[in-house]
Amino acid sequence: MKVDIRELGQFNHLASEGAKQAAKSLSTLAGIEMDVDVTDVSLVTESVLAETFADRSFVGVELGLQGGLEGETVLALERERALVLQELLLDATDTDYSSKGSTLAKSSVTELGNIMIGGFIDGWANHLDTAINMTPPRYTEANGPRILPDQAIEAAKNHGVFLFESKLSGMDVDLDFSLYMLPEYRQFVQLLSGNDQGNQIPVNRLSTFEELAKEGAGNAAGQIGMMTGLDTNVDVSRLRFVPLSGVPKQVGNDQFVGVVFELTGLPSGYLVVLFDENSAITIANAMMPGDSTEDEIGSMTEGAIKELGNIMTSGFIDGWANVLQTSIEHSPPNFVHDMGESIMSPVVGKLGQQQDYAFVIDSTIEIDGNEGKCDIYALPNERELARALSALPAQD
Amino acid sequence: MAKRVMIADDSEFMRNLLREILEDDFEIVGEAENGVEAVNLYEEEDPDIAMMDIVMPIRSGIEATNEITNNDPDAKVIMCTSVGQEEKMKQAIKAGASGYITKPFQKPNVLNEINDVIPA
Repeated sequence: MKVDIRELGQFNHLASEGAKQAAKSLSTLAGIEMDVDVTDVSLVTESVLAETFADRSFVGVELGLQGGLEGETVLALERERALVLQELLLDATDTDYSSKGSTLAKSSVTELGNIMIGGFIDGWANHLDTAINMTPPRYTEANGPRILPDQAIEAAKNHGVFLFESKLSGMDVDLDFSLYMLPEYRQFVQLLSGNDQGNQIPVNRLSTFEELAKEGAGNAAGQIGMMTGLDTNVDVSRLRFVPLSGVPKQVGNDQFVGVVFELTGLPSGYLVVLFDENSAITIANAMMPGDSTEDEIGSMTEGAIKELGNIMTSGFIDGWANVLQTSIEHSPPNFVHDMGESIMSPVVGKLGQQQDYAFVIDSTIEIDGNEGKCDIYALPNERELARALSALPAQD
Repeated sequence: MAKRVMIADDSEFMRNLLREILEDDFEIVGEAENGVEAVNLYEEEDPDIAMMDIVMPIRSGIEATNEITNNDPDAKVIMCTSVGQEEKMKQAIKAGASGYITKPFQKPNVLNEINDVIPA
């Protein structure tokens, strides 16, 4: 079974528009203005679900989809955010909370989920020219990936599950949450099949590439450890399909230090390694011989980060080249020290001349426990990646 | 005399909200939490208008509307739902719905829709 990346882009767009509609619903219902950060889709395995949702406690509203699109949708909030939302909803509707207790508070969140998911799904139904039936909403509380429906977790174990995630954050209030949609695997793959061979990727190769990315992140973490003597661990590694325009916003406005590499070969693209400022200084000092240290980002830190980035990038892409049976080269490191959005915008601008969406490999490496963090973003040319993955020998 | 309205929605929150919106201008004759209760309530109370959610347990709002309008071809039912799918709207009209409001709504939308269906 093959998926057409243009179809994947189309559905990503629908999800993004659906999330905007959902945000509008919340604004109308409770006067809460929400910003839709970005919508991405990934084919995730059980282990990725476990990493993504680990150590978090959620309140959710779950609805099943039947008919023209089958699957599950979940509005998930971290528990403390759910309490904030309940208060805002009951205040906005002048409901006497004290006389009704928690039942009504739960009902308010459940109905909000129902309304938001309804808005989210409408665009899909209209696009597919079909009716999508929703089951009544169900209020749930769970830790970790258990906030997702059992069927989705089971599918993730078997062949992976497509996970659409739209992150929404409050513009005036400290409130953020995610809308997840998990379409039924086989039906959705059919919907994604398309008819342009140049854009098609065998669906199981997406998992192969994700595994490859995870190995690459593991290699990079190992190299940081070897060069600094610090403990490292790959925290999260995901292959996500995102609108390119959303990538800079996703990286955010914090200050980062890092290196940007241009990749040439099959696939071409970009690889960006970013450290927060403190992590960069910690790492650079750990790499320097003798007692020489820097308290701020200076030439020694720049040199150390460039060198480390070089080695990490090689470790990251060598695995790709070996499995894809291609040759991939990388440019010399381009040192960057700026806000995340400012670093990513030119990268996205160059790649955006050829494509609107991108498979982004997003890996986070913990350094020395929670003391430091490194993010790796790999953005291959999507058509070239599709070509390289399609050319792999069949595995099954 | 105030027009008589029934509310069918599985969400307690939404029933409260609709009651607050309507109770100044209408007599609320009862509330139902699912499609079966909605049909029974309609038969018992014979309201001037029924505000009907679509996605409800046991029996959906469209099925309930179909039964209500089959039994009473003059019944006035306004679908009051989070579902804005064109196909669903067609199904609701086919089932005999007289109006359709998409949640979330504000008081003027609800009153305007009711006024369109049963002019004062």
